[in-house]
Amino acid sequence: MFVNLFRTSKFAAQNFRRNLWLSVITVFILVLTLFTISLVFTINLVADQALNSIQEKIDIDIFFSSTASESDIIEAQVYLQQMPEVDQVTYISKDDALEKFAASHLDDPNIQESIAELEENPLPASLVVTAYELDDYKVILNNFEASQFNEFAQDKSFTDYQLVIEKLSNIINRIYQIGFILSIFFIIISVFVVFNTIRMATYAQREELGIMKLVGATNAFIRAPFFMEAIFYAILSAVITIVIFYPTVLLASPYINSFFEGYDFDFMYYFNQYVLHVFFLELAVALFLTTVSSMIAITRYLKV
Amino acid sequence: MIKFKKVSKLYPDKTPAAKDLNFSIRPGEFVSIVGQSGTGKTTIAKMIIAEEEPTAGNIIIGGWDITNIKNSDIPVLRRQIGVVFQDFKLLPKKNIFENVAFAMEVSGAKKEDINKVVPQVLKIVGLTKKTDRFPNQLSGGERQRVVIARSLVHHPKIIVADEPTGNLDSINAHDIVNLLLKINQFGTTVVLVTHNHDIVNSIKKRVITLDGGQIISDQKTGKYIL
Ligand SMILES: Nc1ncnc2c1ncn2[C@@H]1O[C@H](COP(=O)(O)OP(=O)(O)OP(=O)(O)O)[C@@H](O)[C@H]1O
Ligand SMILES: [Mg+2]
Repeated sequence: MFVNLFRTSKFAAQNFRRNLWLSVITVFILVLTLFTISLVFTINLVADQALNSIQEKIDIDIFFSSTASESDIIEAQVYLQQMPEVDQVTYISKDDALEKFAASHLDDPNIQESIAELEENPLPASLVVTAYELDDYKVILNNFEASQFNEFAQDKSFTDYQLVIEKLSNIINRIYQIGFILSIFFIIISVFVVFNTIRMATYAQREELGIMKLVGATNAFIRAPFFMEAIFYAILSAVITIVIFYPTVLLASPYINSFFEGYDFDFMYYFNQYVLHVFFLELAVALFLTTVSSMIAITRYLKV
Repeated sequence: MIKFKKVSKLYPDKTPAAKDLNFSIRPGEFVSIVGQSGTGKTTIAKMIIAEEEPTAGNIIIGGWDITNIKNSDIPVLRRQIGVVFQDFKLLPKKNIFENVAFAMEVSGAKKEDINKVVPQVLKIVGLTKKTDRFPNQLSGGERQRVVIARSLVHHPKIIVADEPTGNLDSINAHDIVNLLLKINQFGTTVVLVTHNHDIVNSIKKRVITLDGGQIISDQKTGKYIL
């Protein structure tokens, strides 16, 4: 068994070297394919996460006028909370608001100074409302405005991110579609190239193969080196792809991060969690491509 | 050992290469198959090693009906039959030892066995001193002896030799035939396909003569009659 494995790899390595040029082209086109697929996968990954982090930022802030008592606000909170669309309602009192404000400008002595000089807290109390679904914010806002609590509200802030999100998902979808079509295109080319390479390998070896058959080599033994060669292409190109892809992503990450400035999103941190996924995806695709196309070539040209 | 029962062979393009062949070869026999070009001699050799399938009839080798042999059984058959074809080449980039060892490697033999058997068969064919030469450093006769050595590595019960002397001058040709006779003396059945009158006449063993895919004579100690 081990002897056979060793001999098979020896024959496979021979094939690879004999058609070195063809082997290089095969690996190159496989790398191109895998790179495209990795790109599509990563874009998909980033897009999901980016949209999530934008959505997480969305909420409605309802600021209450100073005439509203704390119990009015609590009542309003209870009212909002019982709406089925509402996920969370957080009460931020005047003091909380001031504390937050101070905390967020810790390194600005001017602001700290003026806060200390304040006689009265100018910041309003507020309720921060988050919904389960993006579409629900309008409903919640409308319901609230129709309720008796609206009169206590001094101001309501709801930035309509929907447009931003839609635009973003449109762009992402576009890129994704192009990448997807490109991937399919490269996959088809890869299948042909691998098929042809293995076919050439069987052709280059027709004498050995003829002898092998006549001296009673088993079919498995005759086929094995060609499969081995295909698997070797797959592993080699998956490794090369990740070795190229990772630095590319690393180089691109500042740009991607700047795109999401102000959002809770660190691209590299996120990508690092998925880098193994990307590698295994590459490996799986490559193995699938090469084994299928070599199988076709072997059964067609080896006739064993 | 080898039995042809009403065997006919039509190639896909309808060339009739064998018509109603009936003969049997006993273990240990030495049989020459002769006939003019295109009379189906090679076709018979190919059917014995299951490279071609007969269109009708049955072929039995060592009690095994190989007429409709499964693909996966062909290697088993081929390890029991040594094949020496005129165009059955050696690998130019391997030396003599490696060429012979190759036949064992590809059927999964262990390294120790290879190192034991290859020198043995090279000794039988008298090439012990030239094991690390490459095929282009050998004469035609020597090359053919390497091919015979290679055919012996699986200790075959049958050797099928198709025109093994085709490219050789008469001295070398006689050497090769003597080698086959020697192997036959060890008990191996030999089927020799040849054109060469002198050789057939000198062997003084059974001769089957073909014409147009049919047997026209089968003599115990035959001569080339055409
Ligand atoms: N693969 C093939 N397809 C079609 N016809 C074939 C094929 N092989 C051989 N033939 C034909 O079958 C007939 C017998 O061929 P075969 O090779 O058995 O002859 P042979 O007796 O060995 O001739 P030679 O002495 O020249 O080697 C010939 O007419 C040949 O043209
Ligand atoms: Mg012939």
